[in-house]
Amino acid sequence: MIAPKHILGTFDEALASLRNNVLMMSSLTERSLERAMKGLFDRDDDLCANAIADDEEIDQLEIQIDKDGVAILLRFQPVASDLRRVVSAMKLSSNLERMADQATTIARRARKLNQHPPLAEVELMRPLYEQAMSMFKDSVDAFVREDVDLGCGVVARDEKLDDLTHSASRKLIDRMAQDPDQLRGYLNLIFVSRCLERVGDHATNIAEDAVYAAAAEDIRHQTVAATT
Amino acid sequence: METPEQTVMERAEHGTAPPPDAELPQARTFEVKNLSIWYGEKRAIDNVTLDVVSNAVTAIIGPSGCGKSTFLRALNRMHELTPKTRMQGTVLLHGENLYSGTVDPAIVRRRVGMVFQKSNPFPTMTIGENVVVGLRLNGVRNQKLLNERLEKSLRMAALWDEVKDDLHKPGTSLSGGQQQRLCIARALAVEPEVILMDEPCSALDPIATAKIEELIYELKARYTIVTVTHNMQQAGRVSDYTAFFYLGRLIEFGPTTRIFTNPTEKQTEDYITGRFG
Repeated sequence: MIAPKHILGTFDEALASLRNNVLMMSSLTERSLERAMKGLFDRDDDLCANAIADDEEIDQLEIQIDKDGVAILLRFQPVASDLRRVVSAMKLSSNLERMADQATTIARRARKLNQHPPLAEVELMRPLYEQAMSMFKDSVDAFVREDVDLGCGVVARDEKLDDLTHSASRKLIDRMAQDPDQLRGYLNLIFVSRCLERVGDHATNIAEDAVYAAAAEDIRHQTVAATT
Repeated sequence: METPEQTVMERAEHGTAPPPDAELPQARTFEVKNLSIWYGEKRAIDNVTLDVVSNAVTAIIGPSGCGKSTFLRALNRMHELTPKTRMQGTVLLHGENLYSGTVDPAIVRRRVGMVFQKSNPFPTMTIGENVVVGLRLNGVRNQKLLNERLEKSLRMAALWDEVKDDLHKPGTSLSGGQQQRLCIARALAVEPEVILMDEPCSALDPIATAKIEELIYELKARYTIVTVTHNMQQAGRVSDYTAFFYLGRLIEFGPTTRIFTNPTEKQTEDYITGRFG
């Protein structure tokens, strides 16, 4: 449902600008994560460097969104759904920025891995990456479309990502014992898996904020039955 | 069998009582049932049912002409001063029907005091005389009692320290904010059960407004307060419950925090977020 316009047109413009910056930030974060992971899978240092370079623009957008959010609170004193959207947008930007930091870390680890012979265990990261990215995309979609069910579904999926991460870590630790020469490489992959787990945590936060923005419901720190 | 809790819950569903997330049970000062008021042919209030919780601040919001001031005035029969007024429904004050034929409107207005948009101290009276005029009109002649009530009322209105050495000066010599607090002291002097406020800060600067808001917060420990305001932020700051009126109807009523974060009715949402029009 599209809300009718405010009597004050400048209020609508300010809210639209805030929303556009959040969407821009989420697109850049998604791109940065994709570049970092593709850099890891394809052993492409250039993609890794691009992922790291993306971080600067994302940081600037976080600052801009905070600034715009505070200006809206100050100038228009929003209430009800407007207030929830502004507060959620500001929280979203903080989570997106941290996700982009994870992308940077993944890219750095990938560059280290790329300096050594390829490891077949890199493929262990693929299911984690797919799960984390789908959670991320759905969480942003839940915010954009104000879709409560989609948001709740993302939260429920975090447990699966945690399980995948632990399973991958266990396999990598086993490989370390079997093949100590590649210990450094396996360790880097464990760090990558932790980063992807963190991406899922931030996606969960975004989904929770999306549900709050849409329905004023605080679903944080609740046991959610897995629906997937 | 119907329990009291069920009754309140059911009424909450119809927007006529604080919803279940409010602490229950709570004493009600007013119980307004199916109230309609006409000025001539024009219906200003349309079938409003609303309970006013005791020792709490209830804010009434809504666009101009929505009936909020009429509703406020109906709580102490002040609207009857307008010619060609007629009403239907009941208004109970602590269970007693204010509109029963045996009830004297003057007594009602003593029990339910009112503060208006524009401060209106009596221009020919001193500050002290303004405060105790209600008591004098009610026949109180005991000077000791009058003096006690004068100081007590001015202290409650947070004005005593500012005027204690100037009680003989005209009420109109005070600043706008002080005059409004003088009017509050005048309302308090007759020891009412309820204070009604009709946009009490709309003519005041931010500092005077802050003082009145602070005063409202302190007074609710002893009084039930119903205030009409156009200022959403003020309603959010000072009130415990908010009622939204539109075209004479009560659209939504509930705890202020809920109304301002998650209103149930689209009309409420559109009004408080500035989408009306």
